[in-house]
Amino acid sequence: MQKVGIVEVAQSAGTESSLSLMEFTYKPVKELLDKVDMRRDEVDMYILASTDVFHSGMSCANAFDWDASGAFMKPASREEGDAITAFVYGCMPIMEGRYDTVLVVGLIKGSENPENDTITSFVADPFYSRPVGIQETTAAAMQMRLYLQRYGVTEEQCAKVVVKNLGNALFNPYAHIKKRVSVEDVLNSERICDPLKALECAPKSEGVCAMLLASEEKAKKLTDKPVWFKGWGSSMDTFYLGDRDLLNTQLKTAAASAYKMAGVSDPGKEIDVVETCEPYAFQELLWCEQLGLCAQGQGGKLIDSGVTQITGALPVNPSGGVLAMNPYVARGLYRVAEAALQIKGKAGEHQVDKKVNTALAHSTYGFCGQWQGVVILGS
Amino acid sequence: MGRAVAVIGTGQTKHGRRDDLSYPDLVREAVKKVFEDAGITPKDVDGVVYGSMPSMMEGMAYNHFYFADALRVVGKPLLRTETCGSTGQSVAHTAIHWIASGMADVVLAVASEKEHEGDAQATMMTILEPFLMVTIGGAPVAFSLQSREWMGYYHIDDDKAREAASIVSVDSHDGGLKNPLAHIRVKLTKEDVSKAPIITYPVRLYDVCPTSDGACAVIFASEEKAKKICKKPAWVKGIGFRGEEYFIGDSNKAVWQSTIEASKEAYKEAGITNPLKELDVAEVYNPFSYQELMFLECLGLCPPGEAPDYVIKGTFSPGGELPCDPSGGVLCTNPIGAAGLIRVAEAALQVTGKAGEHQVEEAKLALSHAMGGAEQFNGITILGSEL
Amino acid sequence: MAEQKEKPRKVGAMGMVPYEMALGPTWTKFFEGFKEKKILGTKCKKCGRVLVPARPFCPRCFEPMEEWVEVAQEGTIVTWSYVNYTYFGVTPDMIPVIGAIIKLDGVDCGTGMSTQIGGLDIKDFELVTKKVKVGARVKAVWRRKRQGNFRDIDYWKIIE
Repeated sequence: MQKVGIVEVAQSAGTESSLSLMEFTYKPVKELLDKVDMRRDEVDMYILASTDVFHSGMSCANAFDWDASGAFMKPASREEGDAITAFVYGCMPIMEGRYDTVLVVGLIKGSENPENDTITSFVADPFYSRPVGIQETTAAAMQMRLYLQRYGVTEEQCAKVVVKNLGNALFNPYAHIKKRVSVEDVLNSERICDPLKALECAPKSEGVCAMLLASEEKAKKLTDKPVWFKGWGSSMDTFYLGDRDLLNTQLKTAAASAYKMAGVSDPGKEIDVVETCEPYAFQELLWCEQLGLCAQGQGGKLIDSGVTQITGALPVNPSGGVLAMNPYVARGLYRVAEAALQIKGKAGEHQVDKKVNTALAHSTYGFCGQWQGVVILGS
Repeated sequence: MGRAVAVIGTGQTKHGRRDDLSYPDLVREAVKKVFEDAGITPKDVDGVVYGSMPSMMEGMAYNHFYFADALRVVGKPLLRTETCGSTGQSVAHTAIHWIASGMADVVLAVASEKEHEGDAQATMMTILEPFLMVTIGGAPVAFSLQSREWMGYYHIDDDKAREAASIVSVDSHDGGLKNPLAHIRVKLTKEDVSKAPIITYPVRLYDVCPTSDGACAVIFASEEKAKKICKKPAWVKGIGFRGEEYFIGDSNKAVWQSTIEASKEAYKEAGITNPLKELDVAEVYNPFSYQELMFLECLGLCPPGEAPDYVIKGTFSPGGELPCDPSGGVLCTNPIGAAGLIRVAEAALQVTGKAGEHQVEEAKLALSHAMGGAEQFNGITILGSEL
Repeated sequence: MAEQKEKPRKVGAMGMVPYEMALGPTWTKFFEGFKEKKILGTKCKKCGRVLVPARPFCPRCFEPMEEWVEVAQEGTIVTWSYVNYTYFGVTPDMIPVIGAIIKLDGVDCGTGMSTQIGGLDIKDFELVTKKVKVGARVKAVWRRKRQGNFRDIDYWKIIE
């Protein structure tokens, strides 16, 4: 297996853009190529991550997205679903020794889409779930209630995630929602799906994230500070909510695979920074438990301790996470990009103080995190 | 590249109108069959790749979640790859890269479609954004435009192209008759095909694929695993994939670069210099009979502009130098997302001698191919009986 | 699997999902041209090709296409097809139509899909096959009232 390095990343901001999706995608991809001083046709392979119909209004998204991604007449493919899968797929041809460079791009324009839950209601099956109004938010609300009741995590503790992440986002030029809010602000925001409150739910954002991966030799030529792919793990849960223990998700399995591949035995100690996908605030706490960063049921205590603050011992979502910026589909690649920037020391104003040698990027999609993926990066 | 990869099992549903099953059960039918064929259990699988056309076609988003049980993927990694009509090939390629990279030893690839649950043409029309490429005519209009572009470019008169396309249709439908899993199993004559109702001229009813329900599952394994658990692996010899611009007029579609370059890359990897002579069978993606003529040229199986001559003299017919689509091809069976993977499965069946009544004698090297978009993407996988 | 007393049923459902897609500056300008009966293309500074519809960047060179040119309204048929079937959203009164890809004079690509051939009795199939040919010359026929979208060109007329 060849080593894979992340050479460089480029991101778009999450706020609504009046550019067409084609123009909007082109900009970060071109910026990335300019940063590494490569022509489009010099890259060996392209992996797109975008979405058909539901999150884009167009089917066979690879058709429209191909030009702006740079993929014209190059070996290429497209992942449908979260863009973290495009990152992992992008690593494969380099590990095989087939290609030296792969450009991965995740793209979406949330502003063109209807509300997230108009779309996620179509994820529910038409016979049992959709007719009773199950969509991603109602499912998450049920998961949150279970979480609060089983472990005694409080609504205040969940609200603290919002305070932290939207506050961190003030220092992230690309974030969509960035502001100082208090725990009271969060608790007083509309209970859109009790116990979930409006400020605890991710927005619907624009987002194009482009990343250049390269073989070890090429990466070292293209950048002083390549970020190495150390491991990944992914796991799927079953479909019907009633068949699952919503608090015992497949994130544990996914993380275990990633840690094994990366040689991480004590994540709480060995991981320096975490970028996790938390479209619902409480999920950040639950994911921290499932990632083994704290004991089961202790997510609330973890946020209370201050350890996950940007100045803490194990910062979680220094970028603001998905609560600050939710380009559905692309968001997983943003997690990898942010984790890479932390290792490179290039996260600007939201760079964590401590030295970052190992970073974890996590993404999830599907009801209550049915699909989970974890990537470990190292310096 | 990387470790060698082989197909160690395939499974297909009975394709057609499957109102008898829910969509997850249709997927399950193929998955059950592939495990039986490979002689392994889900425990042995390291990961799953799934693909289909935009799932709006069946009225659901991200339906791989729905299929978690049917795919036997609970507790395992799943990737979802989609490249429109070429999805089946891209799904196979993802599985191949996954194993060649060393990150998995056994990968299950599944692709499916249940077109009777929605409207395929209506969904496909949304491939076109609503500003600049608005038209009516579904997939057929795009491929008819291409067919006529090719006829115009090489000055092939309507009658000659019509005769060659009719032979393609007759041959494919004869193949369907020998394939118990095919959707359309009817005997057609050249006259039936030439005089059928017009869909998008020059394409007529029997020049077009059916609307099918169906699923296909293929299990890929690393060299080490394949040698251990499979008596007759079908080795991956070469792969290739290319796509052109989105706007349909941007590239010449008669001299179809994505097909040409993708096949060149696959042939190079497979060490093939004379595909017509070296290949024993070609499962070419042929939802439109006219388009197959173009594929034969752009896959390097005959000189440019001469496909009608080669077809008319029987080169690609049963018993010819390079039989094409002995399974009946996409003309007989088109669950769109699965169709590209079915070509891989059929190629595997051919080189392992398991194609039953539609077996091409002593086939050792087979090409499988799929196309996607409004004439935009082409993917190829070449399988052989020898490593 | 369950034993069934009756044939398995099917459940009907309809989904409506609304989208609002941004035209962006490039295509906004392109369609502004339509309002004035102008067809605008963009030229790549690297390969020199002129493309219609106008583009933000050249898909091959990947450079921004910032030079705008007004192009001819006449061209040649690259290919055409006679559409004669229905599916969801297309009713019998909407067909037949003749779709085409047209290469405008001075433009380096074909322009297709929303381009339709008209100005003759489309229902007369024999006539269509006589008149509509690859290589035939065509000219844009504009609608009197234009909105700045693809419908502003009513059809492309074959010029003898």
